[in-house]
Amino acid sequence: MSRVDVVRAAPGDFETVLLRLLGASDARVADLFASTASTAPAAPAAPAAPTAPGGPDGAQPDRAITLRAIVASDAEGGYVVVESDFEDGVYPPLSDLSPATFVEECEIFEEFSARPMGGKPLNRVLVPPHAETDFPRLGTGPPVVEPGVRAPHVVAGQAFEFPVGPVRGVGQESLYMGLVTTGEEVLDLYLHQWHKHRGIERRVHGWPAERALFLVERAEGLSAVATAWAFCRAVERAAAVAVPAPVERTRAVALELERLYNHAAAVAALCQSTGLSVGQAQAEIALERLLRVNLAAAGHRYLFGTLAIGGVTRALDVSAVRALLPEAVAELRRVVRALRTTNSFLDRLEAAGTVPQETARGLGLVGPIARASGVEIDCRRDHPYGPYAEHPPEVRTRHSGDVLARMEVMAEEVEDSRRLIWDLTAAGLDSGCVPVPYGEPATGLGWCESPRGESLAWVSVDEEGRIERLRLRPASVRNWRAFDDAARARNVFTDVPIIEASFWLTVAGFAR
Amino acid sequence: MSGRSSDSTARPSGIGRVATPQPKAADAEIREVATSLAESVRSFRRSLHIRTVDTGSCAVCESEIRLLAAPHYDLHRLGFFFTPAPRHADLLLVTGPVARGMEVALRKTYDAMPDPKAVVAVGACPLGGVFAPDDWVHGNLDAVIPVDVFVPGCPPSPLALLHGLLLAVGRLGAKVTEDPFTATATPRPAADAPPPTKAVEVSQPAVAAEAASRSETT
Repeated sequence: MSRVDVVRAAPGDFETVLLRLLGASDARVADLFASTASTAPAAPAAPAAPTAPGGPDGAQPDRAITLRAIVASDAEGGYVVVESDFEDGVYPPLSDLSPATFVEECEIFEEFSARPMGGKPLNRVLVPPHAETDFPRLGTGPPVVEPGVRAPHVVAGQAFEFPVGPVRGVGQESLYMGLVTTGEEVLDLYLHQWHKHRGIERRVHGWPAERALFLVERAEGLSAVATAWAFCRAVERAAAVAVPAPVERTRAVALELERLYNHAAAVAALCQSTGLSVGQAQAEIALERLLRVNLAAAGHRYLFGTLAIGGVTRALDVSAVRALLPEAVAELRRVVRALRTTNSFLDRLEAAGTVPQETARGLGLVGPIARASGVEIDCRRDHPYGPYAEHPPEVRTRHSGDVLARMEVMAEEVEDSRRLIWDLTAAGLDSGCVPVPYGEPATGLGWCESPRGESLAWVSVDEEGRIERLRLRPASVRNWRAFDDAARARNVFTDVPIIEASFWLTVAGFAR
Repeated sequence: MSGRSSDSTARPSGIGRVATPQPKAADAEIREVATSLAESVRSFRRSLHIRTVDTGSCAVCESEIRLLAAPHYDLHRLGFFFTPAPRHADLLLVTGPVARGMEVALRKTYDAMPDPKAVVAVGACPLGGVFAPDDWVHGNLDAVIPVDVFVPGCPPSPLALLHGLLLAVGRLGAKVTEDPFTATATPRPAADAPPPTKAVEVSQPAVAAEAASRSETT
């Protein structure tokens, strides 16, 4: 079992501790987030009644935060949570050490008004422009955003911005893409994902963990099992509960079923984006069959409601999985084999949307995108959880980092997931939930390898199991930040949908 | 539905051929609905265009909407087509709990559609079953635009969506016969309009704020 260490550092040592941890080979900052300070300075001098967060009275906001960085040591296995209190809303600029954390720094500013030292301009990531002032936040939001806080949006010279979205094609999520171009080549690309922000982390505050699970699954519906498993593990670790191995195997079968249908959907989307109708139809037949396997196995096409805190809600129908899955996977295999010999298709994929290995490491990418760029990480193997210590996955990598590499990695993972499902069902499944006794207020970190990569959940619960702070970091939060790099790399307009299909991310997971 | 052989000729093309694990009763019900709506479909010459808007869904409803055009369901056989332009659309499929960040885009899409138009709310979110209304989301669709058909489900299966689309076609057919399409026509009855809610107040600052943000932020 992989372990989690918690290191509490003085504010002055926060950066030093992180530097020391990141000095180890293959260590990366997996997440960075804030919560309202656990030891809020009692202010007896202030006689006024405490105002609601972001109250309209123009009071000086309380910017004290507890900052937590999660460092993953992929080579040795294990996560380290480094935490520190910062009183005055300023903390060391971690994106200088690890560029991957820039988006998290922007989120922390929007929710808590705290900024990294040095005053670098920040992007708008989650909060819509009309919500700048008095909408409820996790902490105390910025009362007025001073000039210079937001990064300038500059399009100059002969370039112009070609706006796409937020309402896009059929069955595509809302997303604003600003394609900066002089005509055909993509010079730059801006993404606005805040349109879909629903504030799930904010909503579940004070809810029992069992109730919060409902919204956690819907943070990113296409990885409902992975997000739910990460959350359940976080709560179970906080309550120091161990789930029996056969029940964990049931969860793992659900997770691999989720990976199968997502990869099939990615292949269908790749065919659609290259205008290959026949391939698309065939991949969609495989996708529909895989969804029906889910329906037969768990009673829901997208496996919602399968997991529960402490176990699973239902037994999977193993005989249905074993009866229906081989044909569905064979269908997908036939499609991929045909695609691999279709030159007009391969021409569009090769050298499109390249993400070099250094970029993938620097931006902290996870999942098939990282693996296609030669970064060999998979938290099922590096930080084994549930049954994956006994049933390790085979981690497949490519080094070209282009769309074709991503498709090949996904195709090989399909075979591996099918093998894992067979092994896991042969080892025996069980259902049911162990009781989760909440005692002391506690915190926990959970992780899970979703179809898009490592998904993290950090939770702090009180003595009755109510959520004090929930942090969800689905893989989409990490991987979207490589999208503009991939799109810029000598691509033209028509490559952008192909790159998007090969990333197979969701806006919902980012905007939560 | 007593004799299968006798009603097979009257049956709209393809409805009975959908191979799904749905119970027989649901299948028969859909067939019945489709038959009764055949008249209104005809008024559109079997060419009805659909636009979709995501207002904060979890991406699963989108997946089911994409599958509508896949071989198992193939909505084109019923005369439905997806369109990339709201000005060509007769029907609007809306997913998600209507996040306020999407409100301007949703209204613009709805306003750009020519009359008569129908709105189908897809899934539990726009029905108000998932997110409670607050400063970030409206929580249900009819707080913002009038809704003709609600399709429940989390997510609704493609077959349920087809059912909802056919029901919406019935509503559209009625609107065609009601609407005189003249400049002097009185506006539609106010009963159709959404009740004045906070949503309406938010929209104006939202437009201004979005315009401002486009020029100064990323």
